[in-house]
Amino acid sequence: MPPLIEARGLTKRFGTQVALDHIDFAVEPGRIVGLIGPNGAGKTTALRAVLGLAAYEGELRVLGREPFAERAELMNEATFIADVAVLPAWLRVEQAIEFVAGVHPRFRRERAQELLAKTEIAGARRIGALSKGMKTMVHLALTMAIDARLLVLDEPTLGLDILARRGFYDALVNDYMDETRTILITTHQVEEVENLLTDVIFIDKGRIVLDCSVEDIAARYAAVAVGDDKLATARAERPFYERPMLGKKVLYFEQPDFAKLAAFGEVVTPSVADLFVAKVSWGRAA
Amino acid sequence: MKNYVWLVRREFWENKAIWIMPCCIGGALTIAALFGRVEIDLPNLPQQNRSVAAMALFAFGAVFYVAMSIYSCWYLLECLHADRKDRSVLFWKSMPISDTATVLSKLFVGLIAVPAVYFAAADLATLLMAGILSARMSLGGALSHAAFWQPTFWLQLQVLWLYVILTTAIWFLPISGWLLVVSAWAKRAVVLWAILPPLAAMLAEHLFLRTHVIASVLNGRLLAGYRQAAFYDPLPHHEWSLRAGDPAAALESSWRQLDLASFLSNPQTWIGLICGAALIGAAIQLRMRRAEA
Repeated sequence: MPPLIEARGLTKRFGTQVALDHIDFAVEPGRIVGLIGPNGAGKTTALRAVLGLAAYEGELRVLGREPFAERAELMNEATFIADVAVLPAWLRVEQAIEFVAGVHPRFRRERAQELLAKTEIAGARRIGALSKGMKTMVHLALTMAIDARLLVLDEPTLGLDILARRGFYDALVNDYMDETRTILITTHQVEEVENLLTDVIFIDKGRIVLDCSVEDIAARYAAVAVGDDKLATARAERPFYERPMLGKKVLYFEQPDFAKLAAFGEVVTPSVADLFVAKVSWGRAA
Repeated sequence: MKNYVWLVRREFWENKAIWIMPCCIGGALTIAALFGRVEIDLPNLPQQNRSVAAMALFAFGAVFYVAMSIYSCWYLLECLHADRKDRSVLFWKSMPISDTATVLSKLFVGLIAVPAVYFAAADLATLLMAGILSARMSLGGALSHAAFWQPTFWLQLQVLWLYVILTTAIWFLPISGWLLVVSAWAKRAVVLWAILPPLAAMLAEHLFLRTHVIASVLNGRLLAGYRQAAFYDPLPHHEWSLRAGDPAAALESSWRQLDLASFLSNPQTWIGLICGAALIGAAIQLRMRRAEA
């Protein structure tokens, strides 16, 4: 099966500033990919290109289409939630359902109503009268009722409280995700999506720093907390990043000799968040 | 086509002023007709009674027309800006609807749907007014109560309004296109962006070239130009105003004034149509590229 998303030399400039610098990546069907990066790294720019919301340079195919030229056609099979609370305030919940049912061939009205029933938000209410968390749940219900091949989420829970964030991801996991879905997600709160992801793409300053599956992280990366006594020998194994922790140093290794590392201390697989910090810091120092 | 119906419905959901404003105007006129002081001092000649009544009906319609023109301009200027401002454009763009369809549906609402609503409201209101006024007149004895019931004039007025809606939609297409471009482009202050650049261009032309080409082009496109293009004009300075010698007589034969043939054969009509289409195309391109205010 061909990749759902395929980018080659994807570049985006704003004036003289380069937001995306010839990046290559691919998203395979059935995966849940986290696009992770610090503020201003180019995440949103990359997603906007994928969704056809902005023009770009380079090659980009999403579901076999050219997103910018064919956004309307693409949106038959792909959908997105970009940012929090973007539903218009004047719209009533039932009007939103009616409208999407009217224009979207893959929208299932009963499904949306079923999902909304769980949230106890009345259909007659105006979006503007709902809390930020409720707006997000309405948008999620509308989106999950679309039988899309690709779902893109750009900071879908930014600024929501912990209950609303948890509710969002619980609904996504329990009511939406299955092996036929492909999701591309960006968020600052890496910890919250960490166990959902099958793949991660780290991006910093418009370049890709890491692109690998979560299973591969364990095979490729290791972290060891090393005391001062063994620090010199451990550093000889060429860690790419180190940070202090409780009087020791945590050293991060890429494709190490796992047998040798065991001599310095307990070898663990770094979490996605830790690996992200290590990779980005290393990339910036280099 | 189905998408267009939904897009237009969506505009009516969002912009309740489309029907609330004409209802308010109609309501205000009805109240005025019911309780206002009516002082028309005329010799009691049937022909002049009829003329005054015709003028009154025309004037009521004109009130709606002026309000409609202002609202339509505002609507076109705000329609592509509002959903960038509240970021809901990120929701609308997740629907399988092209930006071309979005822009054209808004143009349709501004040029056809809004005028149609005002037209219907004006008809309803003038019928009410005619009924109320003729009842009051016949009670007071100032005018013959038949004055307001002139089927021929009524029909002429309908034709006049329809003709005006269609020809203004065509003639002012460059203006509408410009408003859409500003609406799709400006981050804020859409009204200023709509007005200042043409003014600045005129001023710059005057300062550096000492010519007034832009000013005369704009002037020719605005009201004076429209009246010349769309109406047969036998008398110099003939106007639809009370100033002319016998306005009602001219009005009563208003459809003899409609000059569709010369409107359609006027090169200015077609130049305007082409410029308008180009500006609308530009608005669509901007809409494709701008996802944020």
